[in-house]
Amino acid sequence: MTKSQNKTTGKIGEDLAASYLKDKGYEILDRNWGNKWGEVDIIGKDKETIVFVEVKTKVGYLFGTPEEMVGFKKLSQIQKIAAFYLPAENSPKRIDVVAIVLSPDLTPERINHYQAVY
Amino acid sequence: MLAKVYSVAHIGLISVSVEVEVDVASLGFPSFNIVGLPSKAVEEAKERVKTAIVNTGCSFPQKKITVNLAPADLAKEGSCYDLPIALGILLASGEIAANGQLDNAIVYGELSLDGTVRHTKGVLLVGIFAQRNRYKKVFVPKNSSREAAVIDGIQVLPVINLASLIAHLTGIKKIKPASKVIIDKLMRDADSEFDFSEVLGQEQAKRALTIAAAGSHNILMSGPPGSGKTMLARALPGILPPLTSKEALEVTRIYSAIGLLSPGESIVSIRPFRFPHHSSSLVGLIGGGSKPMPGEISLAHLGVMFLDEMAEFPRSVLESMRQPMEDGKVVISRAAGRIEYPAVFLLVAAVNPCPCGYLNHPKRQCQCSLRQIERYKRRISGPILDRIDLFINVPFVEAEKLEGSSPDTSKEIRKRVLSARQIQTERFASYQNIYTNSQMKNKHVKLFCQLNEEGKKLMRLAVEKHALSTRSYFRILKIARTIADLNNEKNIKLEHLAEALQYRMRVF
Repeated sequence: MTKSQNKTTGKIGEDLAASYLKDKGYEILDRNWGNKWGEVDIIGKDKETIVFVEVKTKVGYLFGTPEEMVGFKKLSQIQKIAAFYLPAENSPKRIDVVAIVLSPDLTPERINHYQAVY
Repeated sequence: MLAKVYSVAHIGLISVSVEVEVDVASLGFPSFNIVGLPSKAVEEAKERVKTAIVNTGCSFPQKKITVNLAPADLAKEGSCYDLPIALGILLASGEIAANGQLDNAIVYGELSLDGTVRHTKGVLLVGIFAQRNRYKKVFVPKNSSREAAVIDGIQVLPVINLASLIAHLTGIKKIKPASKVIIDKLMRDADSEFDFSEVLGQEQAKRALTIAAAGSHNILMSGPPGSGKTMLARALPGILPPLTSKEALEVTRIYSAIGLLSPGESIVSIRPFRFPHHSSSLVGLIGGGSKPMPGEISLAHLGVMFLDEMAEFPRSVLESMRQPMEDGKVVISRAAGRIEYPAVFLLVAAVNPCPCGYLNHPKRQCQCSLRQIERYKRRISGPILDRIDLFINVPFVEAEKLEGSSPDTSKEIRKRVLSARQIQTERFASYQNIYTNSQMKNKHVKLFCQLNEEGKKLMRLAVEKHALSTRSYFRILKIARTIADLNNEKNIKLEHLAEALQYRMRVF
């Protein structure tokens, strides 16, 4: 797998996550919003709460689960970026993770949504 | 789901119960956290447990796992929580069910990555703890299970690997309880490097060492180089009585706690003989460290500590032995806590009479100046010397004696020592923690070392003439008691007292 393939996988995953959240009744405010510290994959709105979503996508389980790849460092990075998202200034915020596993033909095997992970 | 497994933490030689609570939450982002003041080794248990579970063929739950080691304010050390944590995770994730089999059991052991349970230190302490607190079963590593198997009243289940423990709990294949180890059968006589008959001449020194061995009295030998001081001390294990089962258990507690027992070994079967080099540090000798560990004096508990070239030891190191020598224990206070280790030992010290070694030598001239000799003698302080019971000269051996051989073999001397110890064992049968005459406190001396009129008169004279300290006074009575025991006499007679007094004459 090359770097560009990783990017495609990520893009597929993010699209899947966005439509998954939309189905759940979330309003998608922004995609890949960021500043010099990095970017947040999806920013959504669940009722009053602004939700910052990290999407992690893996093809197969050969190198571990997507959950294992989201560490403390990544989450604290998202928190740092989220502080700059002005529309969320006065509303409650939280960070979610969507973990996606794709089968080799890039169709989703499972999608897990974890709320308020940080 | 929540699972609870019981384990044990050790603070020095004291064990306390630790409840390993494992929660595998159905909600929440997958993670694995250990709380309850884990040290680095406990924190690293995460990786060992995770890999061991996977390599055993079970699935590691991708859920939010929280492990709590209660009580939460006690710092947890070591790798012994691997097995209870792994078991807790399997129980909490619903992989296996305990059905009450772990309610009265302690689980203890370190895991390796393939799921094997490794030899873990402190298993004897686990056994003692389980017996005192009425636990029925202990699951311990197979390699260490013989340590716990000496304890009565508990079932010791040796665990080879995680898979065998799972098979036991699910009822597929029960683990066979370890058979009880009878301590008395394991006791052996120590092999010594030299036999007493190999040491030429030095009859007085041999007699004094016999007394020292019989009553566990401290002894100091002074003599020129090559006269046989070191050889005599090294021959001492050969005349020491074997450990009794009660003593062996006490010694093994210390050795087990710091992991000095090799895998499969059950108990320390021979009397300890420690000979630290004179470059030893204070902490090495007394014990200490940020996590207080026992030192040489505790490793020599109920055995012998031989300080060769005692005057070469740093003064601070020697002085620090004063209090443990008197109390038979050492209390190590550090920021991490206060820990008490027993330290009842027979001190054997060897010194030269002066820096060149030939002071008072019949044939050779001493090269030292008076100042040098004075300074050398000052290296061992009065309080330390006051705690030594027997002082003997190990003189230069005359030429004609070099051809002869010594009549007494270690074996014969040991017989005499043993019968004297037998008398002491009977005498102190009803006393806790007293095994030998030297361990008597003053009230016991008053009870067991009654003197007749003649004896009292002699002692009065000796105290006046030699300005004996109160401690010396009692020590002389204890030695006299041992000499009487060696001669199989019920009462201390004048001759016993006179011999005891003779060993108090300072030769250094």
